[in-house]
Amino acid sequence: MKQFTALPLLAAAGLAASAAQAQVTNPDTLVFLWTDDVQSFDPAYISNTPSSYGTLNVYSRLLAYDGEQISEFVPALSTEVPSLENGLIVEGEDGSVSYSFPIRPDTYAHKVGLMGEDGTVTWEYYDDLSEEERANIEPGYGVITAEDVKYSLLRAMLMDESWMSKAVTEMMTSGEYTDVAAIAEDLTGAEVPDLDEAQLQQVYDELDQLISVEGDTVTLHLAQSFPATLGIMALPFGTSIIDKEWTVDMGGWDGEPTTWGDYFRPEASETPLFADENGTGPFMLEEWDRSERRIVLRRFENYMHGPASLERVVLRTVPEWTTQRLQLLSGDADVVSAPVEFLDELAATEGVKVVDGLQRVFGRALFYAWPLQAQDNPAIGSGQLDGQGIPPDFFADLDVRMGFNYAQDYDLLLEQVNLGKTVQSRGPTVRGIMGYREDSPIYTYDPEKAEEHFRAAYDGQLWENGFTMTAYMQEGNTLANAALSVLQQNLARINPKFRLELQALPAASIMDKVFADEPTSPLTYMGWGPDYSDPGGPLGAATYYLSPTGLVAGFSGEGYQELMREHFQPLLDEAWALNDPAEREPIYARLQEMSHEYATSMFLWEDYTYIVTRDWVDGYVNNMILYGAWDFYPITKSASE
Amino acid sequence: MLTYILRRLLLLPVVLFALSLMIFSLQMLLTPTQRLAAYVSGPEALKGGAEQVADLIEKYGLNDPFLVQYGRWIGGVLQGNLGWSETARQPVADALISLFPATLELVLLAFTLSFLLSIALGTLAGVNLNRLPDHVIRLVTILGWSFPTYVFGLVMLLIFYGALDWFPPSRLSQWAMTEVRSAEFVRYTGLNTIDALLNGNLPVFWDALRHLILPVVTLTFVSIASLTRIMRTSMLETLRQDYVRTARAKGLPRRVVERRHARRNAMLPVVTMAGMELAAMMGGVVITETIFDYHGLGQFAADAAAALDFPAVLGFGLYFAVVLVVMNLLVDVIYPVLDPRVRLR
Repeated sequence: MKQFTALPLLAAAGLAASAAQAQVTNPDTLVFLWTDDVQSFDPAYISNTPSSYGTLNVYSRLLAYDGEQISEFVPALSTEVPSLENGLIVEGEDGSVSYSFPIRPDTYAHKVGLMGEDGTVTWEYYDDLSEEERANIEPGYGVITAEDVKYSLLRAMLMDESWMSKAVTEMMTSGEYTDVAAIAEDLTGAEVPDLDEAQLQQVYDELDQLISVEGDTVTLHLAQSFPATLGIMALPFGTSIIDKEWTVDMGGWDGEPTTWGDYFRPEASETPLFADENGTGPFMLEEWDRSERRIVLRRFENYMHGPASLERVVLRTVPEWTTQRLQLLSGDADVVSAPVEFLDELAATEGVKVVDGLQRVFGRALFYAWPLQAQDNPAIGSGQLDGQGIPPDFFADLDVRMGFNYAQDYDLLLEQVNLGKTVQSRGPTVRGIMGYREDSPIYTYDPEKAEEHFRAAYDGQLWENGFTMTAYMQEGNTLANAALSVLQQNLARINPKFRLELQALPAASIMDKVFADEPTSPLTYMGWGPDYSDPGGPLGAATYYLSPTGLVAGFSGEGYQELMREHFQPLLDEAWALNDPAEREPIYARLQEMSHEYATSMFLWEDYTYIVTRDWVDGYVNNMILYGAWDFYPITKSASE
Repeated sequence: MLTYILRRLLLLPVVLFALSLMIFSLQMLLTPTQRLAAYVSGPEALKGGAEQVADLIEKYGLNDPFLVQYGRWIGGVLQGNLGWSETARQPVADALISLFPATLELVLLAFTLSFLLSIALGTLAGVNLNRLPDHVIRLVTILGWSFPTYVFGLVMLLIFYGALDWFPPSRLSQWAMTEVRSAEFVRYTGLNTIDALLNGNLPVFWDALRHLILPVVTLTFVSIASLTRIMRTSMLETLRQDYVRTARAKGLPRRVVERRHARRNAMLPVVTMAGMELAAMMGGVVITETIFDYHGLGQFAADAAAALDFPAVLGFGLYFAVVLVVMNLLVDVIYPVLDPRVRLR
């Protein structure tokens, strides 16, 4: 009865809504509706993509990515991109490398300091000042210098809070240390909260000597090659440049060698940059109403590359899709976060623009883990190969892994689940990353080969007895459900004694199963993407998947780690020690092939994304390494002809 | 009566303590790793793997004994610190305080409207038993009862915003938000309509009202169903009482008997229910707030629960307990006003 009443009304009103014509509303303001939220505006604190929407637009880095390119850069606060050719990258005979960045002169932050008659500094918006007032700006107060660059990098490292700030530490120490806590322990034998002044000074000095300032040039001194350096310097996280004087004035770290311990790993709200900023980016943070979940960015008229076309950007969190859709259709919203199943309908709607199939450097896979926790682990049933369970080291057998890989129907998943919008993953490195080759081997659905490997596994016992195991997936994840369901059915077709049971769990329970001391989940659907374009280094794609200390190894068990240690680590080390891309590429390509030979994981597909906007929105640049984060600077909004 | 009120208010800390202990115990049934979900967005955010999990559990003291964790939390509460909400990106107390006016504004309007309508419709139906007005009112209330809020709200939105563009979602239009944010606009109460009037800004007042109409109508339609039916039943019962018959026998006009004698007494059960209804609404109207992009306490509580944001859940639990106690108290205080036979001791 309820449906009879509601559906005709919904249909009629829906038609009326979709037929509604909208004028260009708020012509200078981009209204961006999403389901995400920003964690903090402190670039040294954040590490996730939604948070980078803030820092990407309000701060600048020394370098910026060149449009969609993930390995090419353009100058930003640095006037030049360092290279061997221009002499700004210098290789030492001892294997050390230095990177020099000449800082753009007369670059002002959004707020600058004016000295009052009483000797106190007041911070005013640079845009609002007259020429006369600008002449009275206190030197260094809101004027970006090489010292600010050094302060920003040191602060990110010493704060030691986010994964991405730790990447700066890893870069500056050439991968020797993963974080400042490790440096402190190594140098002093003590943990950071317990360091005395001398020890704090000792740790500071260790990092301080790696960054030198000479005039307007800041130079990074790396003990060894770290090929991902330029990529990290362009990321909108810990390498975003902040104004030292303003940060100190707001109560942040004063830059002294013995005080940084007080600012070590703060809570989100404990940093003065949490909800305030003084960057040099094209937009300023005008308001962050955390209760209304609304962020308003205002154009910085004196941005170094000229003012943006948009006067304001409003980011609002709207969880309900229908509400987002209606606001898009009425023209009240310019950009929305649409569920994938509505793309075709939206693409056919007048006034709406869908840009689909945008590539991401993110691979989806089913990860094998071994050995598994043997006691109290319902996922492995009886814990024996008796048809009622699996042994804890089930996936240690290469034939089992290969059998599983041949049992997956990748084409079906690509065509019917991903609607032909992406390609099959060929291994850890995806399109655009060094080591990716179009002709590298991949698995296809081949029940006969799968049977061959299953028969060979465990001396035929597996085929004879069958197995029962449980795979976990996150609740509401339809892609995970599809990938595991297809596998489940194919396994049962190959041998009816193969029983893969599926269980959907909340994220918290998945974490519990995946990140236990010993993994309990034999087969887990997840996805990982590199944090910079270089496949090597601690945050590169190849390392993530194939290093014994990488991300995947972290939850895949000791057996997986041993496999990586024995076969993959030597090649990873060899490639990372080289500087010449021509020498490195074949090694990463070989690692990619080896991930197939050893069936390390079941690589499924490369992730993709899309955007849905009003047709008057133009200028979006999809940079894969920024995970599609919107740089609002090039965005324009004008009525279509 | 004052003694009664004071006694009830003195019980409040005991209720809050018991409630906090109960909610805290419930969350402790989860493992430390599961409770860590409050601080990370999902498994894929844990790039440091098991080592990072261990570090974070240590950092947030999730492995500490129950009493230590509870003591830490309650110690903060006693100092006015309800903890940090990852969902709201601000202290829990700040989130509750800042979201309260939004919910209050919506609920006050919807509740007042639904209460008055329920009394009027229930009375009308009661005095016109089995006649046309009674049939129509019963039909409307059955519809209101059986229509899911989600569907009704969406239909309202599709018609009055999608098709007609009269009543948009959220709390204010873009231009009005800019105005409210400006230095000239003083925030007195956080209630947009009231603040706009106090600032003498009629365009903002109309805009705020325009945004309130659909959620208010939705809430009213859904909540009048139960109150109207209770009022109708109570009215029927009261009309059969001896004192009503006596009043009629005295020759009092029918309207006077119905309004002064019957209706006033028939309102007692409605007031009880209305108190609970208001308390429930003040706890947040999740679906209505979500559909109409109206950021209030309901959406906050739902998001916090979904994200296992325990400080927020605990803080919200305490807030809701206060609301319940206060509403119960209000109902008790109103009783003797409606029926002098009831005395509070």
